[in-house]
Amino acid sequence: MIVPRVVRWLDDRLGTNAGARYLLAKIYPDHWSFYLGEFALYFFVTLVGTGIWLTFAFDPSPQGAYASVLTLADRAHPIGYMMRQIHHWSAVCFVAAILVHMGRIFFTGAFRRPREINWMIGFSMLALASFTGFTGYSLPNDLLSGTGIRISQSIALSIPFVGTWAASIFNGGDSYPGPLLFPHLYTLHVYYLPVTLGALIGLHLTLLIYQKHTQFERDPKHVVGRRFWPDYALRTIAVFGATLAALALLATLIEINPIENFGPYQPWLAANGSVPDWYTAFLEGALRLGPATEFHIFGHPIPPVFWPGLVLPTLTMGLLLLWPFIEKRLTGDGAAHDVLDVPTQVPLRVAVGAALIFEGILLTLAAADDQTAMTLHLRLESLVWWYRILFAVGPLVVGWIAWRVAAEMRARIVESAVYPSDVTTLVRTEEGGFEEEEPQPA
Amino acid sequence: MRIAFFLVLTIVGALGATAAAAVGAPPALLGVALVVAFLGLACAAGAAAVALHAPDDLREPREPHGPTAPTPLPDDGISRPAFGRLWLAALGAFGVLGLVPLISLARKPGRRVITGWRSGVRLVDENNRPIARDRLVDGSIETVFPQGGVGLAEGSAVLIRVDAELLRVAGEGGAADGYVAFSKICTHAGCPVAIYRHASHELYCPCHQSRFDVLHGARNISGPAPRPLPQLALDVDAQGYLVARGDFGAPVGPDDWDRFS
Ligand code: FES
Repeated sequence: MIVPRVVRWLDDRLGTNAGARYLLAKIYPDHWSFYLGEFALYFFVTLVGTGIWLTFAFDPSPQGAYASVLTLADRAHPIGYMMRQIHHWSAVCFVAAILVHMGRIFFTGAFRRPREINWMIGFSMLALASFTGFTGYSLPNDLLSGTGIRISQSIALSIPFVGTWAASIFNGGDSYPGPLLFPHLYTLHVYYLPVTLGALIGLHLTLLIYQKHTQFERDPKHVVGRRFWPDYALRTIAVFGATLAALALLATLIEINPIENFGPYQPWLAANGSVPDWYTAFLEGALRLGPATEFHIFGHPIPPVFWPGLVLPTLTMGLLLLWPFIEKRLTGDGAAHDVLDVPTQVPLRVAVGAALIFEGILLTLAAADDQTAMTLHLRLESLVWWYRILFAVGPLVVGWIAWRVAAEMRARIVESAVYPSDVTTLVRTEEGGFEEEEPQPA
Repeated sequence: MRIAFFLVLTIVGALGATAAAAVGAPPALLGVALVVAFLGLACAAGAAAVALHAPDDLREPREPHGPTAPTPLPDDGISRPAFGRLWLAALGAFGVLGLVPLISLARKPGRRVITGWRSGVRLVDENNRPIARDRLVDGSIETVFPQGGVGLAEGSAVLIRVDAELLRVAGEGGAADGYVAFSKICTHAGCPVAIYRHASHELYCPCHQSRFDVLHGARNISGPAPRPLPQLALDVDAQGYLVARGDFGAPVGPDDWDRFS
């Protein structure tokens, strides 16, 4: 057999057997929700695989891009068609999988000490994945994506002090669309962003293995679960197959981003009934709800897109990125946790999570406010005001309700004594001994 | 047995997909074959995992958390009087130096906006044909460019013909012969304002639904646009073609920090 010989050959030169045995025999806890991140991983793998193929079929020049994607969108070329369809479906699913996975991490408190670093890496990957998706969506230079680029350009220009500088770097010129805009988008999309994502995934998984996975089992001194080999090896193959089967099915049944219907981008033509990729819709909604007022600071304008287009996303991202530290501040729980929370265990966290989800859904809905107003026979202006009021009040109400429900459920669970009170954390002292940490109030 | 069945399915699917691609079958067939192949793989691995009956409560100790005891570095004689701050300052100096290549990529602030409009320049359509005064009927619109500048994004304007009497009553100064023209680039985020509702004399931006009142200098009446669409004052030349009286009355497109007002 060839495999044992290769293994022996490698071990002879690199001494890999001990490490491989360690990794294969490693124990990981089991729960269905622990597979969500794996789906994200396999969407990324699919993106890289199909993406490499697509770089050989795609003409990145602004003049040739649209025509070359038209060829890929043509069912007469089934391989190109499937490659592009799977690639795009995979991109929208990738962002979705990361979000759902992050939701699991968030609500079970898996981000707590000592795993704050991996939370921040994961969050960076969410931002990078969205940005990568946006650059890829823009590459065909069709009417829809061209409009999106134009809007993002306006958002970049609105940054105080450095807006015009930043936009000119991106454009390669001080006019729009600049001569280097598309080369920059292309390089970002096929090189910088995916390579960074790949590196971060590597780091994410390394930390996961090194720090050991969290678990629901209330045995903080042990990892309780199954071995990687053969249990999880088989399971992960199943997840991989399921991911690709789902993508192939979607690509077969529903054509995503049919650019042949949009036409090429012309700055003076408008896209009607435009549907951006779902993860950018919340920004579009925020832009629609934003105020029309333009401030001036010493004669310098602060354009209205600045608030919904930059301030709002930056604040939200900051809140999420730093959440492990914010929660520690608010609850005073700085202990290390390897045992996961039941989602209702920390009402504060449930409240914040629910409020954020509410805002996300609301803004995404607001991105379709014209269609909604038409369907419901409302005046668009009044609908916008309703959305604005909901945006301000909704999270408080939703957060409060979530808080109450979680607190109530927690009280019941505590009564039925599901949470043992004897969970302790060992702390290694400076002298190298061990001490029991003060039990934290739940 | 079940595992074998699924693996055979995988092989059939993969080879089927290969065959479908080879004969140029429609994407649907290729897609179905791919689904069979990958689903077969997933089911085979899943069935194998279920068949394993491996224990699911194996235990492996976790290392305790918390900082480890500090092990001092061997004393090399220079760590102490090492001018720690100065090293940092040197590093910072390189950081400052690093800004140079970054900034060198940027252009001088102040976006160069070339509209192409000057006094006396004719309005032309997408095919570079000048617009005669009887070109549009009441209530219709046309995208126009300065002659010689077809396709210039910042020069594009929307030409609208409305009732001259209404314009007179509204006191519209930039109109000629019932024609008014405004920049097509929305002052909110730069989308092309392309929809005209004749009943209410409103221009409408499809991106975030800003509305502009055509009879009153394309004043922004609702939506997130912060200011009116810049107007292009019109005239009719001796040959009966529409011309501009000058450039747009205000800067085109969304504002930015370096656009003083
Ligand atoms: S770009 Fe016109 S309303 Fe936003």
